[in-house]
Amino acid sequence: MTRIPEFGRFAEPALLILVSLSEGPKHGYAIMTDVEAGYGRPMGPGTLYAALARLEERGLIEALEPVDRRRPYRLTAVGATVLEEQLQDLAGFARLGLQRLRGSLG
Amino acid sequence: MTRFLVRLYPTRWQARYGDEFEALLEERPLGPFDVADIVLSAIDARIRPHGSAAANDHTRGVLMTLRIGGAAAVVGGVLWLVSLAGASVIQGPDGQPWQALFILALAALLVAMIGLSADPGRQQPGLVWAAVAIPIVGAAISAVGMLGMAVVGDAPFLLGASPWEIWILGTIAMIIGSGLFALASLRARGVSRAGAILLVIGAVAALPLLFGVAYSDGPGDAGSIIALLGIVAFAGGWVWLGISAIRTDRSGGLAQREALP
Repeated sequence: MTRIPEFGRFAEPALLILVSLSEGPKHGYAIMTDVEAGYGRPMGPGTLYAALARLEERGLIEALEPVDRRRPYRLTAVGATVLEEQLQDLAGFARLGLQRLRGSLG
Repeated sequence: MTRFLVRLYPTRWQARYGDEFEALLEERPLGPFDVADIVLSAIDARIRPHGSAAANDHTRGVLMTLRIGGAAAVVGGVLWLVSLAGASVIQGPDGQPWQALFILALAALLVAMIGLSADPGRQQPGLVWAAVAIPIVGAAISAVGMLGMAVVGDAPFLLGASPWEIWILGTIAMIIGSGLFALASLRARGVSRAGAILLVIGAVAALPLLFGVAYSDGPGDAGSIIALLGIVAFAGGWVWLGISAIRTDRSGGLAQREALP
């Protein structure tokens, strides 16, 4: 199965896009503003579409019919599974890190 | 501005994403960060393979290497010709900026050799290692020669040789290395044979001129014409090889590469 780290330097943007789409379909501009609002860091339009193209190519998202030149994207079933696995991995890693940090401090 | 930025992307990408991407760019003011981000992503889209030929990660990696090597070959070949032509037409007091341009050409051609060595390297590993190692040593020698030009000018610099003579040794090493690389490429399927043949012809024809310029009074008129044609053929051979590598995934050449033992 596709793993997000395989996206190289677009792994982090890809993960942020998947998280954004997990609450429902969005077009490019809505994804950008959602990511910037939720993450606090700007995502360039070039990076957004480079990550979108990779996600679509791997079948993790799919394009819907465009509305006024804006094309919404939505998470596929495979994309939802990959996102869940990735978030669980990150949560496990965060728990391990916090345990070690608290151990070294305490 | 928006339309120009979209046109930086390859045609296939524009056909798929161009309209919605342009709409996105029209929705918000573009800053320098956005423009730089788009330019870098457009470069990424141009060197990144697409479609069914890039179905697995190994294939994708090979294609990416070929494209980078191909682009470096085109850039290196053009810079090589421009720097030599520029140096012969406009001779500055210290050879600038042609020497720096020439070193860039050497660096690009080294990247090209490494990037395009996938097939020849599997079939002729010894020859390809030699083809890459000789120009690397030559590039280092050229850098020493350039340093000498800055420090002592035309005076003897190292082992009685002038910086110019030391510098041109790097050029000779690159031509010899390129010739060996082209010979190895001729035996590999999937690489443009015409480009490799042109490169061999160019290397053989250009070498006498460079040896003559550096270590004697130079060749006669007929020899000079042949050598100049050789230099053009040398640059053309690299550009040809580069373009054929960049176009590999469009022509189905990758299937041949993947089928190799």
